[in-house]
Amino acid sequence: MTDLVGILVTTVILGSIYGLVAIGMTLIYGTLRILDMSQGSMVMIGGFVAWGVLVSAGWSPVLAILFAFAATFLLGTATQLVSVQPLMGRRNSIDFEMITFITTFAVAMILTNVALEVFGPEQRNVTPVISGSVDIYNGVNLPYQSIAMAGVAILFMVGLWAFLGMTRWGMAIRAVAQDLDAARLMGVPVSKLYPVTMGLASSLAGIAGVFLGSLYFAYPSAGNLPLLEALIVVVFGGLGSLSGTVYAAYAIGLIQAVTEIFIGTTWDLPILYGVIIVVLIVRPQGLRGKPSEARL
Amino acid sequence: MNEPLLEIRSLSAGYGSATVIQGLDLSVRAHESAVIIGPNGHGKTTLLRAIAGLVRASEGEVRFDGVPINGRSPERIAASGVVLVPQGDGLFPEMSVEDNLLMGAFVSSSWRRRRESLERVYSLFPQVKERARQQARTLSGGERRLAALGRALMRTSKILMIDEPSLGLAPIAIDAVYGAIAELKERETTLLLVEENFSHVRGVADSFHLLEMGTIVRTGSYDELVKDEEIASAYLGSAVES
Repeated sequence: MTDLVGILVTTVILGSIYGLVAIGMTLIYGTLRILDMSQGSMVMIGGFVAWGVLVSAGWSPVLAILFAFAATFLLGTATQLVSVQPLMGRRNSIDFEMITFITTFAVAMILTNVALEVFGPEQRNVTPVISGSVDIYNGVNLPYQSIAMAGVAILFMVGLWAFLGMTRWGMAIRAVAQDLDAARLMGVPVSKLYPVTMGLASSLAGIAGVFLGSLYFAYPSAGNLPLLEALIVVVFGGLGSLSGTVYAAYAIGLIQAVTEIFIGTTWDLPILYGVIIVVLIVRPQGLRGKPSEARL
Repeated sequence: MNEPLLEIRSLSAGYGSATVIQGLDLSVRAHESAVIIGPNGHGKTTLLRAIAGLVRASEGEVRFDGVPINGRSPERIAASGVVLVPQGDGLFPEMSVEDNLLMGAFVSSSWRRRRESLERVYSLFPQVKERARQQARTLSGGERRLAALGRALMRTSKILMIDEPSLGLAPIAIDAVYGAIAELKERETTLLLVEENFSHVRGVADSFHLLEMGTIVRTGSYDELVKDEEIASAYLGSAVES
């Protein structure tokens, strides 16, 4: 029973944070058809914002989340305008996915190196958003920080779902993802929608960065591992499928939780990647991906 | 006073280096219903897409409501009151029928009145209302066409262009679609239709324009065109015989 509670709790926490980092990537892929390699940098910047607000300024965690949201929203919007928008008009005549993969990767490298210049290479401790922990069941100890992280991640994922499903601009994003020409015929201004979508997606990664920063550290290459994990989650879930991304995030959380509790932490990554190879051989389109179009 | 609502002069347009429309002239007055006929592959769909801004014009001018609109983005042209129901309907497959209709009212001025518009479309097309919660991809061909027409009516349009309303539909679905088009004509909507099926469109058309090799080669009423034996046998054959 203790193992079961441990697995459940670990799955929810890991899955929620994976989901929050990856869902922005799916939103971007579904709408713009690009794999945005700058998403890891947004996690890194979220971490530095958390350090600045919580440690340097000594302000509240809510402000850290708000500032991280705003900073990465603006940066994500700017990234789209600089590295993707100039190529949009030629997307049918060039290898758009590959070229934007490289241009957004270039933005990530620039951001990482600017952070290195500004903050230096050292890892900075970020105060936990909330300290303390609670014994939830028979010795299964859970830091409040992890509960807050899962709670905020779930809140933002549900918020995104409601935004896409119920609001005028959310529906417009889905419309663009499903049929670009038809969306333009409805009057959707795609040249404004694309940068805003990328800003929104980046801000989710930025918020994840606030929590990951305090879980680990803030440092210039802190976005590399989350980027890799997000890539795996979105491919595993099926490129462009939001529900697939959420399923994949929790599935990967579950696989890691089970391995950590029954086999040991050193084995969790080999086993995880082994499972991913098997799943992708059986279902190359991922858990919820549809082979041809079908997005968001 | 009687300046055309839509006026096209010497328009050329196409895809890449392939020019499909060549030096085309066409004008449509307000409240008129104009029908473009002609063989497949001669540019009928391209013409509608060029007016809507989805295909860039390489030469010539498209004036709408007195203002040149060629070179504008499709979304700006849409906002100025040009509505196109494209070939294949252009419904958003993974969205519910109702969300599809709501997207039809995306332009701010229409968005404010979306609830009334929704009621109006539902009373016009009860079949669409029955399917409101279903995903658009689950609809039959006839239901899709009606949903696409309904979506076009969610926005205040100055001109409604429909690309082949009867294409691929069963006779009973065609009757429903043309019933709706006849009602739009009753309400003095300006219509520009592309249609192969002459027998259906005859009742709603004020003028016919024959498009061949990327340009309009004849314009006239049904009675005028039917006198030309060549046109009558090529395009209007079945209707003349009956």
